[in-house]
Amino acid sequence: MPLLEVRNLSVTIPTPEGDVHAVRAINLEIEKGEIHGVIGESGCGKTMTGMTLLGLAPKGARIVADSLHFDGEDLSKNAERLRGRRIGLISQDPAAALNPVLSIARQMDDVLRAHRNMSRQARRAEASSLLAATGLPDPQRVLKSYPHQLSGGMQQRVVIAQALATGADFLIADEPTTALDVSVGAQVLALLRKLVSDRGLTVLMITHDMDVIAEACDRVTVLYAGLSVEVGPVGEILQQPGHPYTQALLAALPDAAPHGARLAAIEGSIPPPRSGIEGCAFAPRCPKAMPVCARQVPPKRLAEAHRWLCHLPASAP
Amino acid sequence: MNSTAILEVRDLVIRYRARGLFAPRSRPAVNGASFTLAERETLGIVGESGSGKTSLLRAILRLIPVESGSVRLEGQDWLALKGDTLRLTRQRIGVVAQNPYLSLSPRLTIAEILSEPLLAQGERGGPAMRKKIAALLSDCGLPADFMERRARELSGGQAQRVAIARALALEPKLMILDEPTSALDVSVQAQILNLLADLKESRGLSMLFVTHNLKVVAHLSDSLLVMRRGDIVEFGATEQVVREPRHDYTRELLSFGLIGARE
Ligand SMILES: Nc1ncnc2c1ncn2[C@@H]1O[C@H](COP(=O)(O)OP(=O)(O)OP(=O)(O)O)[C@@H](O)[C@H]1O
Ligand SMILES: Nc1ncnc2c1ncn2[C@@H]1O[C@H](COP(=O)(O)OP(=O)(O)O)[C@@H](O)[C@H]1O
Ligand code: SF4
Ligand SMILES: [Mg+2]
Ligand SMILES: [Mg+2]
Repeated sequence: MPLLEVRNLSVTIPTPEGDVHAVRAINLEIEKGEIHGVIGESGCGKTMTGMTLLGLAPKGARIVADSLHFDGEDLSKNAERLRGRRIGLISQDPAAALNPVLSIARQMDDVLRAHRNMSRQARRAEASSLLAATGLPDPQRVLKSYPHQLSGGMQQRVVIAQALATGADFLIADEPTTALDVSVGAQVLALLRKLVSDRGLTVLMITHDMDVIAEACDRVTVLYAGLSVEVGPVGEILQQPGHPYTQALLAALPDAAPHGARLAAIEGSIPPPRSGIEGCAFAPRCPKAMPVCARQVPPKRLAEAHRWLCHLPASAP
Repeated sequence: MNSTAILEVRDLVIRYRARGLFAPRSRPAVNGASFTLAERETLGIVGESGSGKTSLLRAILRLIPVESGSVRLEGQDWLALKGDTLRLTRQRIGVVAQNPYLSLSPRLTIAEILSEPLLAQGERGGPAMRKKIAALLSDCGLPADFMERRARELSGGQAQRVAIARALALEPKLMILDEPTSALDVSVQAQILNLLADLKESRGLSMLFVTHNLKVVAHLSDSLLVMRRGDIVEFGATEQVVREPRHDYTRELLSFGLIGARE
């Protein structure tokens, strides 16, 4: 059984202007010990999916799923209890995740006291060892610091140490490197990979950056307009993407074209989140769309270890 | 580079004043930068946060003082210009910033945003100006009916197109772009990069393009400059730098992510 199983999740947020379909139909299967990427354009429901798993969906949101289970427990009932105990969040903005007026020592200690039954002495040692585990060179100095005295990369390491301090073994990382430099971001990703192998963590990596998927993830789920449209091992998806949307995303990258050549931009934009969708959500922008695409929900396709939704048969180029 | 230089920077040192009367001198934000931008070419400037990229651009725009060194713009001693001459000459440089929403006033219509620089230059409003604005929008891939929209109603990509149109309003020869696609999705980033390539061609623009993302700028730049803690650690033709990076940091940036995707 996968550690996380999400089947047919939808999250609908009522607003005065009508219902927002933040998540329409998302499936996720995450095995213990993997880094599972979730990629898609802005507004496709990545953050809302993560927040729902943490029990942090906005008040009034309607959450419906055929299955929403973490390690056998029903997240629709227990998400709030699991958050902090088993499930931790690493967000895009480490500065906002830390309290600017408290020392790191105090903030680490608060987390340890709330989540772990330890003596003061033991907590102090644990805080230092967790900071060291995130690759911070001088944990004692970091403990004495305030957030503004640390660089963005160091702050993100502290946030990761805090998540570990809760005892969480499943981390939801929402764009954890977007606010960091490429080289600092690469170090944070390497750290997450190390923690996964050393401590048996599992990570859900939310990103809009294919480089992050390539660099850090084992498998990836591609989202489009609140739908999961393709899932599989990263190598397969990057080399033989099945879904025309995944193909278009990869083709739009600067690496995909020769120096100076035109890039294959995806024209148009995602369907507005308040509108309903008929047939395939990508049809209005899909270069391979056929008449049936606008009318019927696409069937599942399969090639090697990856799956996607499309009317085109798997063998079509 | 065989053509004439539009911008020549020699031994440029930029240092922010240390706070406090007796504070020791801070280390320079830019530490002796020298490079040349040829006409109709694009120079990509890459470097980690705090490496001095924005400081370099600000100094070139004369928004902050220079400690020493020289900047020649179209052969002119650019640092010697003062007052109105400076103000007028500066308009030969178009500027596009990272966050299109922050750089456009949300409540103004697109027509108002684009007429601002023209009015400031003393042009008169009226049908001729509206025609000019419509042409600018169309050059940037937006239909004329965008004129009546407000900036807050635009998507990120559309807002960035408006910001580029505004930068082009006074027909600059040099464009300075600071992280113009960093806030955008890949799909939209590709549209904006294509647009910049088209404009460079059709308007004969020279560009300084600053970004964290080496792969983005390597795609469209003729030459590349890599900065690290105020120093230029790499400067050369893009293909040369990509093929034979001299610095570990450049290698690190080049190897991140998709290139040589994992098996
Ligand atoms: N107004 C200022 N006063 C004092 N120091 C400054 C000021 N602006 C920048 N600096 C310092 O100058 C150095 C270069 O900063 P700059 O903004 O040019 O970097 P950058 O390469 O543009 O970084 P980023 O990628 O984060 O935009 C840094 O050490 C920075 O802290
Ligand atoms: N609190 C909210 N109220 C109404 N709509 C929301 C709210 N939060 C997100 N949305 C909408 O839900 C959709 C998915 O958002 P989000 O999960 O943040 O996307 P992503 O993280 O993929 O960019 C978007 O259309 C967004 O505008
Ligand atoms: S179902 Fe049709 S429109 Fe949708 S991705 Fe496949 S070919 Fe394109
Ligand atoms: Mg998000
Ligand atoms: Mg900057």
